[in-house]
Amino acid sequence: MKYSLLILLGCLAMLLPVRGAENQAFYRDILVRAINEEDSAKQIALVKELVAAGDELVERGLAAWRVSELFVNTEANGLKVPFVLDAQLDSDGKAKAIRLTDGKFITDAAGKPLLFRANELTAVDNNSRIRRAIKTTLDLFAIGNPVPKLRRDAVIKLGQEQNPEYLPHFQNRLKTETDPEVIKALNEAVALTQTVDADPSIRNAAIVTLGKMRSINAHDFLVQLETKAKADRAKYGEETLQVLQKTIVQIENYQRWGTLFGTAFRGVSLAAVLLVAALGLAITFGLMGVINMAHGEVMAVGAYTTFFVQGVFGSGLLFSLFGKTVTVKGMGLTGGGFDCYFIVSLVASFVMAGLVGLALERGIIRFLYKRPLESLLATWGVSLILQQIFRHTFGSANVQVDAPGFLQGSLVVDDVLFAYNRIFIIGFAGFVVLLTWLLLTKTSLGLQIRAVMQNRTMASCVGVRTDRVNMMTFAFGSGLAGMAGACMTQIANVGPSLGQNYIIDCFMVVVLGGVGNLVGTVSASAGVGITNQVLEPWLGAVLGKITVLTAIILFLQWRPNGLFVTRSRSLD
Amino acid sequence: MKPSFSKILAGAAAGLMALTASAADTVKVGVLHSLSGTMAISETSLKDVLLFTFDEINKKGGVMGKMIEPVVVDPASNWPLFAEKAEQLLVKDKVAVVFGCWTSVSRKSCLPVFEKENGLLFYPVQYEGEELSKNIFYTAEAVNQQAIPPVDYMLSEGKKKFYLLGSDYVYPRTTNKILKKYLKSKGIPDSDIEEIYTPFGHTDYQTIVASIKKFAAGGNACIISTLNGDTNVPFFKEFANAGLTSENCPVVSFSISEDEFRGLPAKQLAGHLGCWTYFMSIKTPENEMFVHDFLSWVQAPKVSGIDYTVSGVDPKGRVTCSPMNLSRMGVYLWKQAVEKAGSFDVDKVRDALIGQKFKGPVCEVTMQENHHLINDVFIGETLPTGQFKVIKTFKGVAGEPFSEKFLK
Repeated sequence: MKYSLLILLGCLAMLLPVRGAENQAFYRDILVRAINEEDSAKQIALVKELVAAGDELVERGLAAWRVSELFVNTEANGLKVPFVLDAQLDSDGKAKAIRLTDGKFITDAAGKPLLFRANELTAVDNNSRIRRAIKTTLDLFAIGNPVPKLRRDAVIKLGQEQNPEYLPHFQNRLKTETDPEVIKALNEAVALTQTVDADPSIRNAAIVTLGKMRSINAHDFLVQLETKAKADRAKYGEETLQVLQKTIVQIENYQRWGTLFGTAFRGVSLAAVLLVAALGLAITFGLMGVINMAHGEVMAVGAYTTFFVQGVFGSGLLFSLFGKTVTVKGMGLTGGGFDCYFIVSLVASFVMAGLVGLALERGIIRFLYKRPLESLLATWGVSLILQQIFRHTFGSANVQVDAPGFLQGSLVVDDVLFAYNRIFIIGFAGFVVLLTWLLLTKTSLGLQIRAVMQNRTMASCVGVRTDRVNMMTFAFGSGLAGMAGACMTQIANVGPSLGQNYIIDCFMVVVLGGVGNLVGTVSASAGVGITNQVLEPWLGAVLGKITVLTAIILFLQWRPNGLFVTRSRSLD
Repeated sequence: MKPSFSKILAGAAAGLMALTASAADTVKVGVLHSLSGTMAISETSLKDVLLFTFDEINKKGGVMGKMIEPVVVDPASNWPLFAEKAEQLLVKDKVAVVFGCWTSVSRKSCLPVFEKENGLLFYPVQYEGEELSKNIFYTAEAVNQQAIPPVDYMLSEGKKKFYLLGSDYVYPRTTNKILKKYLKSKGIPDSDIEEIYTPFGHTDYQTIVASIKKFAAGGNACIISTLNGDTNVPFFKEFANAGLTSENCPVVSFSISEDEFRGLPAKQLAGHLGCWTYFMSIKTPENEMFVHDFLSWVQAPKVSGIDYTVSGVDPKGRVTCSPMNLSRMGVYLWKQAVEKAGSFDVDKVRDALIGQKFKGPVCEVTMQENHHLINDVFIGETLPTGQFKVIKTFKGVAGEPFSEKFLK
């Protein structure tokens, strides 16, 4: 019995391709008949028959018909053949005609393709009823779309129409579907459609199924149904109402958990963004005591480096250097090769920003270690100069940095979204903190840095080259800021004012955490990030931000040195 | 040989005569757009298109035989400075007309000046309405020309839930207030309308996108966005990452035109909708000419007929957009009115402007008694190229600034 079934399946599989080719001709013929049909009721019936066609040309013809871009050509042998125009126009605005029966261009006697201009042709008539029928057919077409994601979207959309006509199509598809996501969507669509069934047993079973599936998509429909059922108890019956109420509670509980995890993730992710942005400042301002107003612009250096590396890996870029236009030829990579640009740019932006930091320290800041307020003014001036350099080099408009393939989209676990770029930033923040911690505690440079920060004169006395340590520390802090800038390209705008948008948040986090304390910076960013995300759904983005700021001000009134207090001479 | 004194005198006199002659042959026109600060990105394009239009008109003989002489000032995105610069244009330079302003707050700032000095201002950018000054002509789209048509379109597409998302300032708030009333009048209950604002330059759209995802879960939802400027980038990035698309939840953006697209990742916005009274992609001979002429003009910008150096025109990647078209049509409407009135006098020109018709690049517009245009409205789908494909046209929509007149 088992074997015979297998053989049967095998035969069917062998038959399929042949059947496919026959199908093609068969459905294209139906389309031609539908177009040439005079009676609109028959037309609609024919259009509905096309549901199972799954042929690209038929789909194209129908889509064109719906928007009045389908035309008919009477050929030499008297046949009326429908055609659509090719998307490619020549200089006269004319296009070749694609015959819908075989997908080839219509040619004249000599075999040269005929050219048509769209506005000189008369489109095949349509009316709202036919258009609606075409739309339904096209929607159902999408169930057969080869891309699972599009297929799933189509199924979800059709399910929400709760149209019993679609049920057999869903059930047919379920027999052959292999993608788990689509199967889930199909089951949901079937159940959702059955909730409006007249038969109470089918209806109730469908509602229970939706509850078991924890279907968030169905929630609104069930609530509507509940309102109707309450209004008309006689029609829907007590049992349906009870099942409904139970299911709605079930789904809402599930939703609540989803919201909780979602908020937690969003809070952690915002915290990671703040941490990545502020870590460089925690070094230059926190450890070294330089009020570095150019921190944001150093981040922007990293972001523009990413833009540059992207251009080199991709299709090249154009910028002007001191008034001269420079063209950089790209390697023209695509796909995985191109995606590597981001990894390279993380390193490149660290180096580039580090160099900028080095130059900044050697050129200006080293003269101002004893005059913190003047370093504030000087670095602010540097930030303005850097902004203007960005404007002159890359233009005042924002530049586009594309997300590499592996940072697009999101991971969905039980209806909670984890966007890949956010996951990456969280991981990256952890990595950078670890790196910094290792550097400060496990290396001799770290030992020297700590020595210099705690007591510069004493460190100098025991032979530490404080000047060099300062230089390295500032360059490292700037390099971290550069990497942060590279990360920011994935979530924010890259423009001359990128730094301005982050500088306040950065200072806020460092000061709140306690100047000179890495643990403080980490906890402060976590606190600010999570509080912000918890408050936002209640208070809205504007008020949420104000509340957080007020809370920080009040906190600093109470503890002026921040969360963790470090005692150090350099800060006195 | 030493030139004789009389010759110098004669030369000077001739020069003076030429000077007075040229002064008599020009008419001063003010351009009041921010060329620096946050709004410069948008407003500079309007300054460019105005100078281009003056060049077009001067080439054809000017206005009543007089060459247009632009007086360009920079209010630097500083709202009070708009009033000062307007005063300077009207009192010191004595310009015949001013073209300018982008944000509503800048218009409100210089409105009292125009009323006090009896000046004339043409305002070209879509706005929230609820205002009518006898000294301002609004070629801009009023709410019923830009906000109501796409909402109607969404309703006809079967959308039942509306998420109104905007930047936190006067234009989005007023527009959304009107839209909410309108939606209610169309039978959309309060529970199916969400209204959310974010600060300017907001970058963290996680929570909002999560709430949109929840909002759209039941299907038939759409977003009406009045988000302004580059805050759209993080929004659309987050939106796409959450698996939302134009198919399952379309976004209609009121503040994104072809010009704004230059700084946005067009790929991520493809398929979403925009609503304007002009698109660069509309194929008419007039529009093709406008686009072609403007694009070649920016390569070698100049204003013919007068001694004027144009500066700060970026020739790279330029486009035309609705506010630019409306700016240009404003100049032509003013020119026609001046010629009809036979005078540059503000009161006479104002009367002559009413009923003035102009055949623009995409359709003919008429200035109504309420100082707003009758104009065609187009809903367009955005393409990955940063252009729009028209998917619906509303013919001859009469602009109406006061919402109580079209909300019944």
